[in-house]
Amino acid sequence: MNNSQNMKRCFRCGLPETYETIEFDSYGVCNICRQQDFKKEVIDWGERKKLFDALIAEYRGKYDYDCIVPFSGGKDSTFTLYYLVKECKLKPLVVQFNHGFMRPNLIENNERTFKALGVDVVSFTPNWKVVKRLMREALIRKGDFCWHCHTGIFSYPMHLAIKFNVPLVLWGEPSSEYTAYYDYRDNEIESVDEVRFNRFVNLGITAEDMKGMIEQDFDLDPRDLLPYTYPPLRDLKKLGYQSLCLGSFIPWDVKSQSRLIMDHLGWKGDEVEGMPPDIYGYEKIECQMQGVRDYLKFLKRGYSRVTQMTALDRRNGLMTQDEAEILINEWEGKKPPSLTLFLEYLDMTESEFNEIVMKLTIPPFKPEFEEIKWGKKTSDFDSWYREQKKL
Amino acid sequence: MTIGIIDVGLGNIGSLSGALYSQGWDIELIDSPEKIKQVTHLILPGVGSFSVAMERLERSGLSKAIKFFAQDGMPILGICLGMQLLADKGVEGGLCAGLGLIHGDIRPFGVVQPFRFPHVGWNVMNKQASHPVLSGIKAGADFYFVHGYHFTVRDKSDIVGLTDYSLNFASVIANRNVLGVQFHPEKSQKNGLRLLDNFCNWSGGC
Amino acid sequence: MLKKRIIPLELLKNDRLVKSCNFSEHRDVGHPIKSSKVYSDQDADELILLNIGDGDLEFDNLVRVVGKLAFECFVPLSAGGGIRKFGDAEKLFEAGADRVVLNSACYSTPLLIKEIADEYGGQSVVVGIDVKFTNGRYLLYSNSGVIETGLTLDDHIKTVINLGAGEILIQSIDRDGMMQGLDLILLTQVLSFSSIPVIIAGGTGSFMDLKSAFDLGVDAVACGSLFNFGDNNPLRAKSFLKNYGIPLKIL
Repeated sequence: MNNSQNMKRCFRCGLPETYETIEFDSYGVCNICRQQDFKKEVIDWGERKKLFDALIAEYRGKYDYDCIVPFSGGKDSTFTLYYLVKECKLKPLVVQFNHGFMRPNLIENNERTFKALGVDVVSFTPNWKVVKRLMREALIRKGDFCWHCHTGIFSYPMHLAIKFNVPLVLWGEPSSEYTAYYDYRDNEIESVDEVRFNRFVNLGITAEDMKGMIEQDFDLDPRDLLPYTYPPLRDLKKLGYQSLCLGSFIPWDVKSQSRLIMDHLGWKGDEVEGMPPDIYGYEKIECQMQGVRDYLKFLKRGYSRVTQMTALDRRNGLMTQDEAEILINEWEGKKPPSLTLFLEYLDMTESEFNEIVMKLTIPPFKPEFEEIKWGKKTSDFDSWYREQKKL
Repeated sequence: MTIGIIDVGLGNIGSLSGALYSQGWDIELIDSPEKIKQVTHLILPGVGSFSVAMERLERSGLSKAIKFFAQDGMPILGICLGMQLLADKGVEGGLCAGLGLIHGDIRPFGVVQPFRFPHVGWNVMNKQASHPVLSGIKAGADFYFVHGYHFTVRDKSDIVGLTDYSLNFASVIANRNVLGVQFHPEKSQKNGLRLLDNFCNWSGGC
Repeated sequence: MLKKRIIPLELLKNDRLVKSCNFSEHRDVGHPIKSSKVYSDQDADELILLNIGDGDLEFDNLVRVVGKLAFECFVPLSAGGGIRKFGDAEKLFEAGADRVVLNSACYSTPLLIKEIADEYGGQSVVVGIDVKFTNGRYLLYSNSGVIETGLTLDDHIKTVINLGAGEILIQSIDRDGMMQGLDLILLTQVLSFSSIPVIIAGGTGSFMDLKSAFDLGVDAVACGSLFNFGDNNPLRAKSFLKNYGIPLKIL
């Protein structure tokens, strides 16, 4: 297999040294594991809950909506919406940014959720032609074609906060669940703001950067990039905005939260390319391109979604290293069928794709393309969008 | 609230204005005593020489106006040279009286190998006492320093933060409603912005 | 103890940031203000902004960009490229630069260093030195790598220090944009000649390259390509370096 086995890894969860923000302590345990320990053993969640109750009391009933809830339909945003409506009895404005790759099961989940909870929903779908050009540029510069999605999801709701005059924006899980850009051990409430946006959400590229990068060969109207542009801080400050994660106030627990929304909302998981369906069917079900995304991660860093998922289970003592390695060897590192669609959208050949990726690999890992086999299709693959053939 | 920034040509105030503006504060540039009436907070920035700065403050009448503002219990923040101007006296450019709002005097760093002077770069501010203006700033946080002189306080109780560079000098000082920071918060990213925000939210009480 | 620094090196041309390879082939890498803000949010310790266009218009553009940058980014800023006389430096300081970077002027009018240092302090002057390795020696070039000056590293460094410079920015033209590693032999030489802080630039391709330079004792590393091509940023560089005990700024 590829040289992913030579990388330094966390003794407890197995995440490798190429994982972003990872740092190992003198015991060989990573900071992500240590953050989780702190979350469970030190953070006073009773206090945090009190803070939250005070926070929502500040905003309840005072504006056209009590808060904005950015929503993708995945397990985290579905749970967040459920909690805010059912437990907190808030009146939210649900804001959905449609990245263009929503799967049929997701759309059904969303309809069920919105109707069961009874909420107002705004959904925004950006210009597909612009999206395709952005995907290409992001792939080349950063090896991550989801720039439009990352930036749209985090910018667009902020624009609506200003437009609708709704200062409170509530997100789901804090980033400290997965990375150390923000550390649970600082015992602070993470602010989902422009600094965070620039630290890792936008891959270091703003809409203004993108404009110059794509306008040479693409017919761009500058307004095309507004949905991806973070609004000025001064405007948000004047609004009195607060943009926070529910997971900063209640301890995030993906497994029990997924079970809850399955039971109470009939939320359904789905197969995802490259993932063992029975165990992790609740993860990353939103996007058709998830398989390509995970594939890119593997090519660049030598690990992917299965490693990440089993790391969470190993960290929580739910899985042994041997069990994890069996899953990783069976499911990880295969070429997803969605790659063919991706190449079609971007009008690119597989060898062009490989060439681009080779420039972006993160040492010490190096992919060996000839050894990579095709993975399984998902059952809804044939219903996914195909570009019309050019006449 | 309106934040006044003393502006008598003592160096660029673009970053300081921008830092406050972007955080949603309304600012007023103060180059004459009358304008001080309009503000709720006063910031005294500064780059350059002690005696030149004091001469300009005296000539414009601002020196007196700042002292009255302080007497009224209004919050004042001195930054870098601005902090040094709060002292009783300084020696740069010749012995010269300062505003006398926090007792002490300004001295140059001595020659101490292997330290290079002026003190330029990121260095730790060690909190000695708590103060509303430092709220939310982690212990051991670094700030950006550029200076060749330092503040020696008369009353140790005025020291809020110390920094170690050839000697332990006062990097944050405070006396009632008057505060001074030796580093540049407008160049110190997250913590600097937080400090400025805390100052603008502070009413001057302790 | 002063912390080591990671400095994004930004090249300004026609109102956009560009990146070069061996000082040519310029590629658009972003909007000067927004990119700078991103770097600052990613914990960069300073920014160096160099104008690589020719002529007065381009220089005025630099001054304008510095003004806007100072208003939106709250991190120390060094600016240069085309400074020929005291008035040029003065404009940059008034616009909000903390330091100016002099390069070609150090060969044609070295006393300019003293003039600026006397007025604004030595710490406000960074001397940029561009070199190519030819026939076993480092040759110093002016005018963006075009004119060979005939000076040696040793002599030139001593001269600028005597005139009051505060810091040296040493850049390898050969390594520029190649992402194959910094010229550590060059760095070793410069560190031995210089009693003032040194920033090295040209060739950083991985975080290991940064570590190697810090291990030799450099004060700062300036990077261009590293943060523009590839999934890297100052935050990640610092995480990596922290694992090796390099003393970096804590926010």
